[in-house]
Amino acid sequence: MPELLQFAFSGLTVGAVYALVALGFTLIYNASDVVNFAQGEFVMLGGMVTVFLHLAGVPLPIAAALAIFATVLVGLALYAFAIDPARGSSAVTVIIITIGASIFLRGVAQVIFDKRFHALPHWFGSEPIRFGGAAILPQSLVVLAGAAIIVALIFVIIDRTILGRAILATAANRLAARLVGIPVRKIVALSFALSAAIGAVAGILVTPITLTSYDVGTLLALKGFAAAMLGGMGSAVGAVVGGILLGLAESFGAGLISSKYKDAIAFLIILATLFLRPQGLFGKKSVERV
Amino acid sequence: MLEIRGLHSAYGRIEVLHGVELRVDAGEIVCLIGGNGAGKTTLMRAISGVQPISGGNILFEGQDISKFAAEARVRLGIAQVPEGRQIFGGITVEDNLNLGGWLHGGGTAKERDDIYAMFPILHDKRGLAAAGLSGGQQQMLAIGRALMSRPRLLLLDEPSMGLAPVLVEQVFSVIEALRERGITILLVEQNAAAALAKSNRGYVIETGRITHSGPSDALIGDPKLREAYLGI
Repeated sequence: MPELLQFAFSGLTVGAVYALVALGFTLIYNASDVVNFAQGEFVMLGGMVTVFLHLAGVPLPIAAALAIFATVLVGLALYAFAIDPARGSSAVTVIIITIGASIFLRGVAQVIFDKRFHALPHWFGSEPIRFGGAAILPQSLVVLAGAAIIVALIFVIIDRTILGRAILATAANRLAARLVGIPVRKIVALSFALSAAIGAVAGILVTPITLTSYDVGTLLALKGFAAAMLGGMGSAVGAVVGGILLGLAESFGAGLISSKYKDAIAFLIILATLFLRPQGLFGKKSVERV
Repeated sequence: MLEIRGLHSAYGRIEVLHGVELRVDAGEIVCLIGGNGAGKTTLMRAISGVQPISGGNILFEGQDISKFAAEARVRLGIAQVPEGRQIFGGITVEDNLNLGGWLHGGGTAKERDDIYAMFPILHDKRGLAAAGLSGGQQQMLAIGRALMSRPRLLLLDEPSMGLAPVLVEQVFSVIEALRERGITILLVEQNAAAALAKSNRGYVIETGRITHSGPSDALIGDPKLREAYLGI
């Protein structure tokens, strides 16, 4: 029984990170129909930039803030120099561009930083809290709380502000959005900036637990993508639920079956989703009256 | 108010507008009629700045706006009700209106109430997703959304398309009401008879060129046009 609780704790922690990556996917997908496979690199950059600024003597909170800022700049540059010039191309073309960007960012990170694993100090110490026979790291609670705050913030923006409506409108009908004066390109750039910020925060929160290196982004992007698919591409609620479910499935799968299959679970989930419910748990079937 | 001089526009290498000349004076209803593929929608999109132009000028109140971004043109007071309505389907009726007022911070409750007074059915359905509206209701919403941007020139692209005759009547009476409120109107229509009957002047466009223009009653009387567009 304590083991199951332990699996649940670690599943929730990892799931929160997947949820944030999936939320990043969703924001960009909603505004531009692009699946941004460089989303994992935002997580990597958040962690790595913080690590190296901290090593250089910058206090941790300032290092973290600068890392978020730097990642946002990278997100905007990705849009301005790679995505925007290809507007009008098919979605597949743009998706391949994001894969290229992801490889590029990884390469640059390898050159600027290094190829080793790095950690950040735990925010509130690394002494596990005992609970029902299971142990939970204080940092896990930080990850969960941080993820909850970001998710709440994004939902407020999307659901309660005219800006969020404009993002949805841009997704729904780009021509009409331009005709009412919504600056569509700025809205898409904003979605890249927001996604980069979310990714960076996820990286900063989780690095004390999982460590980071120049290439952690690849697997995170695939996991986040699986989570977004499971939840339903384009649904913010789906992204969060999908992320948590994937985290739990991995944790229980690894614990009860074998940890060797941990990374395969995400792919099984993608396949199962495509076979059984292609629109995902919360996705809408695309029916529109014309 | 609006003056178009020698306008050229192309899709890739295929030019669809070959030097269009057109003028709309303040307070007028001007209609543009022509067959499928004549370039009507391309011209409307070029005026709104969502279709690139390859030559010529668009002047709005004497100012050359040819290079202005779409949003700058909306800010100047040019709004468009696009062909096929193009409402934001997954978003509520009310939010569609709010987005129409995007450049004014989403518009005011009074502006919304004005639209609801004009189209009471939109008020009844304000909380529902716009995709669930009928064709006629979507057209009302598209017009309402355009009005939320506080236009002085309203471009209407085929507002009667796909509507039942009773709704077509309603759309045309709305257009007249808007003109009485001081909004200048450029109307694109395939329903040439109705458009000419309700407008001051008209233009006929064929394969990217203006071939006829003049007061609407004169165009209605032109035997060639009667044959080609009015089916009489």
